[in-house]
Amino acid sequence: MPKVMVSMPDELLAEVDAEVRRLGSTRSAVMRDFADAALRRRREGRAVAIGALLGEAGAHGGRAAELVKATRPEP
Amino acid sequence: MTTLLLDASVLLAAFDSEDDQHEQARALLEDDEVTLATLDLARYEVANVAVRAWRAPDSVAPLLATVERLEEDGGVIPSTRPLLSLAAELAEAHRISVYDAAYVAVVAERAHRLVSCDRRDLVSRDLAVLPAQAH
Repeated sequence: MPKVMVSMPDELLAEVDAEVRRLGSTRSAVMRDFADAALRRRREGRAVAIGALLGEAGAHGGRAAELVKATRPEP
Repeated sequence: MTTLLLDASVLLAAFDSEDDQHEQARALLEDDEVTLATLDLARYEVANVAVRAWRAPDSVAPLLATVERLEEDGGVIPSTRPLLSLAAELAEAHRISVYDAAYVAVVAERAHRLVSCDRRDLVSRDLAVLPAQAH
């Protein structure tokens, strides 16, 4: 696993360290979990929001890839 | 986890129940286990098809809103000069349009995986995979 150097404000680092102590874990593990959780929330938010938008799908005849090319500007 | 770069055809197929990739494209967009991104070009392409080919201007808003949701996930990648320079080289090398090559250039620059419904120019040349093959 690659190692990275991260800069952060003292106050934020203090909160991370408090979480490290609470969990009996390490800075690396806690920050990995935070990053993973943040990205997961982002993906879940996108999936739900797009799911709602897809309720507006209709019947348009198919051939999406062909239509993209057909409607591009002519040289 | 590899970010999947969706081209405009995938977004359009998801919104067209008659497209043969509809179900797979839709499942991909609703999959919360993958990170999804697209290129800024997709905004023009989806709007253009909705207005000029589908004759469904009401579809533009949900299509563009979908692109914005991708912005909040893996991002909407800008067509910068370096990216388009690379796209021009790739277009020449693969004999494809610069439009298609712009998506391929993102893959080359960022190690994303391109997903497209374009069998003829992208999937058949192993430059992209179909939505069903993306997982």
